[in-house]
Amino acid sequence: MLFFENVKMAILAIRINKMRSFLTMLGIIIGISAVISIVSIGDSMRGVIADQFESIGVNRAMMYVSFVEDRRESDLFTLDEMEKVREAFSREIVAMDPGSSEDAELTRGRKTLQVTLEGVPGNYSEVQPVDLVDGRMINESDLAAGRNYVVLKKETAVELFGKAEAAGETIRAEVAGEPEDLMVVGVYEKEATPLDALFMGSMPAAYVPYTSLVHPGDYFFALNFYIADDIDPELFKNQIVGLVSRMKNRAADQISYNSAQEEMSMADNIMQGMSLAVGAIAAISLLVGGIGIMNIMLVSVTERTREIGIRKALGARTRDILVQFLTESALLSAAGGVIGTLLGIGFVMIGGAIAKIDVVIDPMVVIVAVAFSAIVGVLFGILPASKAAKADPIEALRYE
Amino acid sequence: MNERPEAIGLTGQIQARELIRFEHMEKIYDTGAIQVTALRDVNLTIEQGEFVAIMGQSGSGKSTLMNIIGCLDRPTSGKYYLEGLDIGERSADELSLIRNKKIGFVFQSFNLIPRTSALKNVELPMTYARMPFHERHRRAMELLRKVDLGDRMEHMPNELSGGQKQRVAIARALANDPPILLADEPTGNLDSVSSMEIMELFKALNGEGVTVILVTHENEIAAFARRVIRFRDGMTVSDETGGGKHAVL
Repeated sequence: MLFFENVKMAILAIRINKMRSFLTMLGIIIGISAVISIVSIGDSMRGVIADQFESIGVNRAMMYVSFVEDRRESDLFTLDEMEKVREAFSREIVAMDPGSSEDAELTRGRKTLQVTLEGVPGNYSEVQPVDLVDGRMINESDLAAGRNYVVLKKETAVELFGKAEAAGETIRAEVAGEPEDLMVVGVYEKEATPLDALFMGSMPAAYVPYTSLVHPGDYFFALNFYIADDIDPELFKNQIVGLVSRMKNRAADQISYNSAQEEMSMADNIMQGMSLAVGAIAAISLLVGGIGIMNIMLVSVTERTREIGIRKALGARTRDILVQFLTESALLSAAGGVIGTLLGIGFVMIGGAIAKIDVVIDPMVVIVAVAFSAIVGVLFGILPASKAAKADPIEALRYE
Repeated sequence: MNERPEAIGLTGQIQARELIRFEHMEKIYDTGAIQVTALRDVNLTIEQGEFVAIMGQSGSGKSTLMNIIGCLDRPTSGKYYLEGLDIGERSADELSLIRNKKIGFVFQSFNLIPRTSALKNVELPMTYARMPFHERHRRAMELLRKVDLGDRMEHMPNELSGGQKQRVAIARALANDPPILLADEPTGNLDSVSSMEIMELFKALNGEGVTVILVTHENEIAAFARRVIRFRDGMTVSDETGGGKHAVL
């Protein structure tokens, strides 16, 4: 029943010394907003990284012979070898290509433009979403025929042709110093955030059949493939590494196998660990904030010694005084926690809006932060409150 | 106020009911190096409905006695019975409860809670008695009207005159309807007009049956009491009943 009375008294006491209360809360405000923004930035970055992997393909994996000392030409792959591997794992591998790309200069009339030609397999759109705005994607028959077809990015098409509907047009491309005519069969669109640009480099990608970049008899460095969703990645990895090591006459540990899944979870773990570590450091400021509250509450108890004496004379029990001062410090701290939470969320939202990132705010973090600040308030309020509660009423009444 | 039929003392037909009893009560302050005996061998009985003044010079032990009567302190040896209850054996929280229910304090320096309205000040002892909000609110208003402060309920202590503050303090002292009103130099900080007003209020309350115990060094104030107990060096030197301004009435 005394709960509301205590809250009212605490609010009154906090309001009487507005400036002092605010400065006391500042420690908690800064601590909580720091913890919330750091953890949220970490979570948001994890989301960004996940998106990045999504855009290159989560099921994507790549393998090559490691950089060994006795490097030989047979460490490289040919299309025939790639075909053998594909046939051996026809169920596990959905799509496969030599992972080839080539910088090219596209020319139409007097306009020239730098792009990266990505050699893609015929069923690329099955493994990676491609948002076509015109025409079609590279298909199997383009690949089989080794056609010089290209799918341009929307911005590239607009730059060269003044329109996105460029399917059917022809452009001159200079690839590795050799001119070639490419026919545009489609135009795709891809939203890019400022962060994507940072990760992906500045040149727009154009898709071509990989057979137009890698010809029979050519050597290439790595096998690039997309794994089916319903297989055991560990088992598959062992099997395919075994096959390739036999094929290349190399020990299994000399074959590098990088899967996006593995790298993603590694990057995710690092991010998570980092945001936890930095968050923990920020949490120390909460401790400092708590000490600030304890300090001010001790001052407040001394200032109000006489009031405590009066209250005791009028019948306040030890517990009544204890709860009164605990309520005050908990309220002070929790108010700081709420303000800090709002500030922290505000910072993250503004930052996310500027960087065009989807902001991730874990409600659990907010709950934990506010609960933690209230606990800090109670914990650091115990010493001043028990000092108040233990005061001898006669001494306290005499206090000037 | 509740009727106290056993304590209609004005007409002299006192149906004695013992309220306070000291038996060989001593209070010794042990400061470590030296022991100071503040009260020695006090034997005293105060009955319900009395109006008692305790007088003495500073250092006579009257303040110590006041603290013990008010259950703020405990005797070192001997017995103090309040309504038959042995106070010496109570814990600090039990004493809080006893103060809350049995004692109404009125201090020289008013001791109102600062920045808290007259009404809230009067409500405070009832809050600690866990009285429901509406009931204590209603009673606090009633008490403030009784001390003629019906138009000052929402005023803060610093907006009130000395006499008004002391009347708020008296209303607060009466909050839980205690049998004893314990006043320590209640007019010490007041001008003569306000002092007389406050003393008239005590007299009226005593007339309603409240036991008033007054600690003072002023003869003029002590004259309101029917019984005057004088202290010197921690001992009672005289205990006179009769006379005082009651006799004049």
